[in-house]
Amino acid sequence: MLTVPYTTQYLTEHFADGDYTTLAGYERKGGYRAARVALTQMSPADVIQLVKDSGLQGRGGAGFSTGMKWSFMPAGGDAPKYLVCNADESEPGSFKDRILLERGAHQMLEGILIAAWATGADKTFVYIRGEYAQPAVTLQRCIDEAYAAGYLGANVMRTGFRHDVVMQRGAGAYICGEETGLLESLEGKKGQPRKKPPFPAQYGAFGMPTTVNNVETFSHVPHIVANGAEWFRGFGTEKSPGTTIFGVSGHVARPGLYELPLGTRLDEIVFEHAGGVPGGRKVKGVIPGGMSMPILPAGQLDVPMANEHLRERKTMLGTGGVMVMDETTCMVRVACVITYFFRDESCGQCTQCREGTGWLNKITNRIERGAGSEEDLAILLDVAAKMEGQTICAFADAAAWPIQGLLRHFRGDFEEHVRQRKCPFSSSFEL
Amino acid sequence: MPRITVDGNPIEVAQGRTILQALDDAGVLMNGVDVPHYCWHPKLSIDGSCRLCQVEVEGVPKLQIACNTPVQDGMVVHTASPRVVAAREGVMELLLVNHPLDCPICDQAGECKLQDYAFEYGVSASRSREPRRALKKNVDLGPTIVFDQERCILCRRCVRFCREVPGTGELVVLGRGDDSVIETFPGVPLDNDYSMNVADICPVGALTTKDFRFKIRVWFLDDVPGICTGCSKGCNIHLGVANNRVYRYQPRRNDAVNDTWICDEGRMSYRRVGAPDRLRRALVRGELGVPEATDFGAAVAAAAERIAHLRDTKGAGVIAGIASPHATNEDLFVFRRFLDELGAGAFGVAVTTGRADGLLIQAEKAANAFGAHAFGFSDAAALCDRIRHGGVDGLIVLGHDALGADYLGGVEALAGLDTVIALDSHDSDLQRVAHVLFPTRVAAEKHGTLTNHAGRVQKVEPAVEPAYDARSEGEVLAALGAALGLAGFDGRFDASEVSKALSQSVPAFADASLDAVGPSGVPLAGGPRW
Repeated sequence: MLTVPYTTQYLTEHFADGDYTTLAGYERKGGYRAARVALTQMSPADVIQLVKDSGLQGRGGAGFSTGMKWSFMPAGGDAPKYLVCNADESEPGSFKDRILLERGAHQMLEGILIAAWATGADKTFVYIRGEYAQPAVTLQRCIDEAYAAGYLGANVMRTGFRHDVVMQRGAGAYICGEETGLLESLEGKKGQPRKKPPFPAQYGAFGMPTTVNNVETFSHVPHIVANGAEWFRGFGTEKSPGTTIFGVSGHVARPGLYELPLGTRLDEIVFEHAGGVPGGRKVKGVIPGGMSMPILPAGQLDVPMANEHLRERKTMLGTGGVMVMDETTCMVRVACVITYFFRDESCGQCTQCREGTGWLNKITNRIERGAGSEEDLAILLDVAAKMEGQTICAFADAAAWPIQGLLRHFRGDFEEHVRQRKCPFSSSFEL
Repeated sequence: MPRITVDGNPIEVAQGRTILQALDDAGVLMNGVDVPHYCWHPKLSIDGSCRLCQVEVEGVPKLQIACNTPVQDGMVVHTASPRVVAAREGVMELLLVNHPLDCPICDQAGECKLQDYAFEYGVSASRSREPRRALKKNVDLGPTIVFDQERCILCRRCVRFCREVPGTGELVVLGRGDDSVIETFPGVPLDNDYSMNVADICPVGALTTKDFRFKIRVWFLDDVPGICTGCSKGCNIHLGVANNRVYRYQPRRNDAVNDTWICDEGRMSYRRVGAPDRLRRALVRGELGVPEATDFGAAVAAAAERIAHLRDTKGAGVIAGIASPHATNEDLFVFRRFLDELGAGAFGVAVTTGRADGLLIQAEKAANAFGAHAFGFSDAAALCDRIRHGGVDGLIVLGHDALGADYLGGVEALAGLDTVIALDSHDSDLQRVAHVLFPTRVAAEKHGTLTNHAGRVQKVEPAVEPAYDARSEGEVLAALGAALGLAGFDGRFDASEVSKALSQSVPAFADASLDAVGPSGVPLAGGPRW
């Protein structure tokens, strides 16, 4: 049933089974048993401790400890508390959440239910990107099924616990995937990240304590509850346990979705799973974790895909979107595409981001046209440095890092443009 | 109270404040401790977007924005470390990447924070070779404000102001990234009672008032502290003065009165100071009933003669006084003493009232009704009723508020009086009936104090000197009292001396003499007022 190449582990094990997207099919595979265990046999504190012990890290890009994040939610109180499921998967090169929504919506909902129990949340808002029309239909059907079967609603599994799930479709802005930009959009406002403090755990959706987790993060949770923290730590590395779904795209023979343990080497993913570059051409560079993560050159692909290792190479796992570029790729054009994207998607609040993304784009475009100078390369790095770490959200970092990565590893491409006063890559892709 | 250390200096701060708020509370922000900022404003919600106010906090790896970082006891802050300076320069460079740099033709030049901070904290040369954003110029946002989108640095103070202060929310940011622009909604102009404040809080030349723009370069203006006299709120202002002319009012911060705001009507009342309908010369009605311009001395003599005649023939009890709520405490104190010494039969004060909004605009459309009441001038409605029914022969009237519908209902009520002595600043129907008319000064031309609606005594000083022979009410009455031989009147009027006497004889004003009142005023003490 799956039309893209893939490898599976526990997350995607049943995704080829079309029946798995129905409640009955999901239950046949043991679905909602973990939630029942959590709600009937575990205290919320037990669940949080279990998730902390498992070492599960958020799969939305930042890699923060999920159990830790849940523990920030204030306990008790009369005010409502909310969970938000971030299904606004909008990082270029990332398409793993889509499959988790299309094929494993009940798995995600079960994870949400367990998280709700752990954090005492009354309601979950699933904020799904507007372009995910089919996943939205599937998800809503699954939500409806879960209500009908008593997995959601006023008396979840007859435990007296109440939990509601509401799906909200976005309208197409990258920044609405940033957790507080998402909250603003969810509230019907312009999607602009909020300054912190206050953090969402104190002042989140509609001003209430809120935890925001990614689709994949929730999807891991039932497996941790069902199998235990030790089992989960059997996958991946010591610091980065579990599997993740690597979405491989670009110049590879088998672009697809590969669920593999964290710590799997990047060259293994590119060459063994995705089949390497077709047509006998060589790899030039690989973006390891979605477009906002710095690129790695062909010589540095022998790196385990886990943040503790990727950081040594000045990049990060991000969302696990692996983008492969072969030797015909003009890295200045890549820079143009990346800077165009970030210029277009910057919300425009912070000075560095609003003005910096535009400036980076103008300079890279000029270099690509052959009108760049040696000084421009220094300005690119300087502007990127001025954007980094100085803004309300990480968007400016996400815009600055790829430029830093490209200049770190492919400065020659930029210098060649300056020297020849034109783009030396005649066969490069169209802008 | 938490203590923080800023650039080596300890500062006590209130709990729950951010670094920038703490510096502002301590009165040292941009006044000893420079933390430049654009989006932050002491009276608006925190935005945190301009990123200029970044400071280094010991123990925190990243630079922190001072506007939104809560203070913690023992926090050590550096506002001028090399990292801070570099970040500041970075923000300034980026802010200027798309700025038109048209200072020579920009009306904000000279009071522009972008210009100031670029000089102070920026780098001198531009590295940008790229074309700048071309956006809308000279946008008519509403009846009061013109907008230049290219100059805008998107600090969004104006957007927050409209949402948070008047609550009208006319302004919005449209677009994203460097396509972001401030806009109004279609068919909904920027039009509220406080709209012109956006020009004050706009740190650059993007928002300017239609009234002031291109009138004069701001560096020619002296900012004279004063009080708006449009209503009894007593909003603190700066009068922008050049060439003995008032060009504008701008709000002056006083957290106990008007924060940093002023209503548009009050702001535009600067025009009253040098208005063409100001009374310029004393008038005395001649034998044929025609008013004739005369000098001050002759007018005093004529007025004294009429008053003395009435007093001597019918007794002073037939003479009444109506005080002006626009006059200073000192003027009113002299008037009250004048009436007491004369033995006037009745007196009161007429106050024009109108709309109030619960924000700044007060119903009493005069600056010192409270002061008049404090000196025993009760509402003149009953007195005016008596005048209308012929119960008074002579009237000394300050200002023309008494002509209003709540009082005399028109000048005809005075037509039958034996004597009407009027002291007034602007043209009105009073001129038609006054036997003697003295042109008076307005608050912007006086030394003195005014008491606002809440009993706060605030100081005014002469910002301009009238080009004609206008005198304060106190001075006119001092001369008149001397001419009438009233006890304690020697013809001299010195606002400071009167204020001293006032504070000694009226207990509530004990701490509110002219010399004791600071730039932000003092509340009246308890105790008897007269």
